[in-house]
Amino acid sequence: MTAGGTDATFEATIRAHAGDLFRYAYWLARNRQQAEDIVQEALLRGWRAFAQLRDRAAVKGWLFSIVRNEFLRLAARDGPAHDNLDAAERDIVDERASPFAMEMRDALMALPASYAEPLALQVLGGFTCAEIAAMLETTEGAVMTRLTRARQALKRLILPAEAKERKGERS
Amino acid sequence: MNCLDYRRILLSGAGETEAMRGHRVECLSCSDLLKEHAAFEGDLRRALDVPVAAGFADRLVEAMPAAGAAEEPRRNRRRFLAAAAAAAGAIGIGLYAWRGRDDPMAMACIQFVMKDEAKSIMMGAMPRAEAERMLADSLPLERIESIGSIRHIAPCPFGEGTAYHVILMVPQDKVTLLVMPDTPMRSRTRATHDGMYASVVPLRKGSVGIVGASAAVVDSVAGAIAA
Repeated sequence: MTAGGTDATFEATIRAHAGDLFRYAYWLARNRQQAEDIVQEALLRGWRAFAQLRDRAAVKGWLFSIVRNEFLRLAARDGPAHDNLDAAERDIVDERASPFAMEMRDALMALPASYAEPLALQVLGGFTCAEIAAMLETTEGAVMTRLTRARQALKRLILPAEAKERKGERS
Repeated sequence: MNCLDYRRILLSGAGETEAMRGHRVECLSCSDLLKEHAAFEGDLRRALDVPVAAGFADRLVEAMPAAGAAEEPRRNRRRFLAAAAAAAGAIGIGLYAWRGRDDPMAMACIQFVMKDEAKSIMMGAMPRAEAERMLADSLPLERIESIGSIRHIAPCPFGEGTAYHVILMVPQDKVTLLVMPDTPMRSRTRATHDGMYASVVPLRKGSVGIVGASAAVVDSVAGAIAA
């Protein structure tokens, strides 16, 4: 047992996946505070059920699913907390990102959750379309369609700004 | 496989299959598309990869109930943060003090660390003799060095005056001090934002802002300075 009280295996699991779970929760809730609370609550639920998890290799997908359920539970109770980014929060992200990534982030914010969520699961979580389909309780084809449409929408939103930027660089 | 199929699968993010590769090497248009798509995916990943608050995983670990204990999981954020503080040795300080209204000066110290600290470091350090002279009446260097190891010290614009920016390594973590000889404070204030904690402590002359990634470390340094 560690100083924090949880066992070493679950602690290692937390440390390995905390960042990705937070980012996934963030793109669900689009709010840092709520994302932290969702992850904490999800991990508490995960901690209670960890002993019953037979396939430890599947722990990442299992935790992502718990985070999703926790988000849905909180959203049903409290309503969504979307679109409340303050200026300071935008600055934190912007410091790390290229101008195009900043445009991308704004475009992601404009995407419907039904498109942004599978995208986050695929890019951040590294899950396949089949795994995402299982998590979202839909078909693999539907996931592929959503992912394709998500990228098409992002390109439509970004390319005018990107073209303008590149034109500015040339002149 | 044709261009339409290639484009459709590529945009789904499913990765390039052998059949797709076979098409692409024969098709200049799809070859160009792949290059453009790789740049797009890079920006997408960076945009999704939002920063995580410092010490977040540690706080999660500390918030878990004891293994084998019948304790009810701690359910709210206040207890979550309290667990972090307690685990770091902030016994008796408690979270209550951090729950009040955020003080603007303490919040400005956090904003400095988030936005201007890197710039201040890039501008270079000031000579030790000058630092000793400038801080002698407010927070002498020997006093700071009794708490931790100074990694950087330099003057910087702060608010409407000048502060002395100190990066201090303490046994638990890195903390930032902003010594403000011209900014007196009546009592200690606090603020927390985005996983960072700040406290402003009155000095004999002026005040000092202390910023760190955990409430316990900030409280510990504040206590050592005030002692």
